[in-house]
Amino acid sequence: MIAIQALEGGYGESPVLRGVALDVPSGEIFAILGKNGMGKTTLLKTIMGLLPAKQGRVELLGQDVTGWPPYRITRLGVSYVPQEKSIFQDLTVEENLRLALRDGVSFDARLETIARWFPVLKARRQQRAGTLSGGEQKMLLIGRALLTRPRLVLVDEITEGLQPAIITRLTEVLVEERRAHGLTVVLVEQNVGFALALADRYAVLKGGAVVETGRASDAGAREHVERHLVI
Amino acid sequence: MAARWQGILAVTALLAATLAASPFVLGDYAQQILAQAFFFAIAAITVDLLWGYTGVLTFGQSAFFGIGVYTVALALAYYVEGPLATAGAIVVAMAAAALVGAAVGWLAFFDRASPIYAAIVTLALPVVFTQIILSGGTYTGSSSGLPIPAPNLSVAQWFWISGGLLLLVTVGAYVLVTSDAGRILVAIRENEDRCRYLGLRTSRLKIGLMAVCSAVAALAGAFYVLFGSVAAHNYGDFTFGTEMVVWTALGGRGTLVGPILGTIGINYVSAVLGGNLPFVWLLFVGFAFVLVVVYLPQGVVPALASAVSRVVRSLAETRRQALARPAAPPASLRALPRANGAATTASEDGPVLELRGVSKRFGSLRVLEGVSLEARRGEVVGIVGPNGAGKTTLLRCIADGREQSSGEVRVGGRRIDGLPPQECVALGVSRKFQTPNVFDALTVLDCLRVARTYRTPASPWRRSRTLELPEPALHAVEVSGLVPLLNEPAGHLSHGAKQALELAMVLALEPTVLLLDEPTAGLTRDERAAIGSVLRELAQGHRLCLLLIEHDLDFVREISTRLVVLHQGKILLDGPLAEVADSELVRTIYIGGKP
Repeated sequence: MIAIQALEGGYGESPVLRGVALDVPSGEIFAILGKNGMGKTTLLKTIMGLLPAKQGRVELLGQDVTGWPPYRITRLGVSYVPQEKSIFQDLTVEENLRLALRDGVSFDARLETIARWFPVLKARRQQRAGTLSGGEQKMLLIGRALLTRPRLVLVDEITEGLQPAIITRLTEVLVEERRAHGLTVVLVEQNVGFALALADRYAVLKGGAVVETGRASDAGAREHVERHLVI
Repeated sequence: MAARWQGILAVTALLAATLAASPFVLGDYAQQILAQAFFFAIAAITVDLLWGYTGVLTFGQSAFFGIGVYTVALALAYYVEGPLATAGAIVVAMAAAALVGAAVGWLAFFDRASPIYAAIVTLALPVVFTQIILSGGTYTGSSSGLPIPAPNLSVAQWFWISGGLLLLVTVGAYVLVTSDAGRILVAIRENEDRCRYLGLRTSRLKIGLMAVCSAVAALAGAFYVLFGSVAAHNYGDFTFGTEMVVWTALGGRGTLVGPILGTIGINYVSAVLGGNLPFVWLLFVGFAFVLVVVYLPQGVVPALASAVSRVVRSLAETRRQALARPAAPPASLRALPRANGAATTASEDGPVLELRGVSKRFGSLRVLEGVSLEARRGEVVGIVGPNGAGKTTLLRCIADGREQSSGEVRVGGRRIDGLPPQECVALGVSRKFQTPNVFDALTVLDCLRVARTYRTPASPWRRSRTLELPEPALHAVEVSGLVPLLNEPAGHLSHGAKQALELAMVLALEPTVLLLDEPTAGLTRDERAAIGSVLRELAQGHRLCLLLIEHDLDFVREISTRLVVLHQGKILLDGPLAEVADSELVRTIYIGGKP
């Protein structure tokens, strides 16, 4: 599903990623962990084509997408849930969701699915999205990303600002989507407990490179990860 | 600091010498064109200060140039003569322009005006100005212009005068934009809201800047009419105002050098080519503008500068051994001597924050309903509740007196109804936003410096090397690992580092009521613990009152003294930590139950 080789990139002149290599097979839930400033968000943005890759290669769903613009990558069936809330503030909740689908045919049915996960989104469908609270906007983001029934979803720190009950719900949703549609998930997380409970495998980024990978179910995985998170 | 002034002096001397010598090399025609371009460049600098640095797109600087032109022209044509009176007329022109500029600023920069509003107001200004001149009949010369008795000076003398004025204005502008106050201009451009919540009176600052820039544009116009000896309405019209914006954009906004070179370059080439190919030339300028906007959106000068720096760097790369890497600048943060306790003991007893029946509605949606709450110094009040309960709205109602729909909020005993955020800061409230809110284009150090401006006003000419921060702010910078990043642009920081930076900025205000909206979201567990200890110390050691929104109940447990549960806009529970945190209610609506 994802194959990354020797990826380098970053903002402007300053390199953030220094040779990232990563393989995520189809249907896996994969967590990217690490301290702040280690390049986790930069990696997702570079995979999505939002930041240019200076070196290396990104392959998604068997296609070499290095250098592709984000909209082409999206059309392969890739969704991205950014960390900074990127909803359309002045559109209604429903309009925000509708924009994600390129054909409107299946919208109502899909909206029902989303409403089952996050009832608040359906209850507020006519409300301006900018008036949602921070946590509700996060629900909208994830709802919008999954509405298109993507094959791969990249999720950046979704648990930030969500109440515990919603985090539990989110875990169920992602697991359910994988079982039903073979969804592949890549998570960037600060919440190590959540990430390891959900993921099959994990990688730790440090200084712009992968320094450790492992299975989340391994005994001692948490200690391994947290060793890298110490200040 | 001395190095900066030495540098400025050296460059100024070099440029002055070049100016002085140029008439001996250049022909009369070239001098004539350059002198004109120099006057225009002065006006373009004011466009750059307003637009490039402060983010106020203005099409109206031509009107102020025109005020300079016509004030002097009318004075000399009808009322006075002689050098002294002319100087007087110039001063009057500048004062008049400053007044009009302040009035325009007052109209354009009220607190909730969108940036486009200022652009429209400044667009209208030259239109009004031109109409006044055109309807002035023979008095203003209407469309045929108003000739005036010009001072008898040679072309070379005019070249020196215009060049000297340009040099003076450029140096002045350079000193301003590289000073501590100059960073505030950029901060306003980057994030005006954050500036207001840092206690800066941004509207007032922009009005002041507008007045100064207007006076300088009028100065250029006043000299220009003496040089050209005829006043014409097109020096104050909308086309000229737009041309200044084009010159600034082509050269590179926010660089000072860009607009100067843009103005001189276009005017010079246009004078040389425009005579032979008038229409083709205009077409060419149009194309150049489109190309620059598309391919070099920052303008020509920044593009050249980055190309040069790339070449220099690749040269350095090949000779890495020979060239030592620039040494890391010395640590430039210092702790402020701890304030004497006098200020904190004054109102120790009563509640520092009181809310009574506060409600907030968005249209028909009720976000808060009759919230009443009191908090004292030394308390850490954790606010928990499901997503959408109104937690952030509650903080917003405390940090901005214009937010609540009804009810009463008192800070330190004073009602805040109707007070904008900057006035609430003055009462001791400071707010950290939910998503990190910093100045991306400024370095970490400069972000902190701008935040500190509320307590120690920034000098419009000095640039300080060190920054004194109150102990808690400094502590927050240190524990979050920001010290090695002080000279990085804040936009390059990771999400968590931005969170920490914003917290430090807010602490630099030395607040008494601190509103924190998920301060540790995006931080690792250890960073969380470190920030937690900073917050605890703020409440216990510095006797601050903290309101804290958090979803991490463990974190809330660790540092809160009291817990408030908000649900659907109402306070359901309010009590000591242990009681509330373990209550059945919190468990059902928050952790385990249905969302």
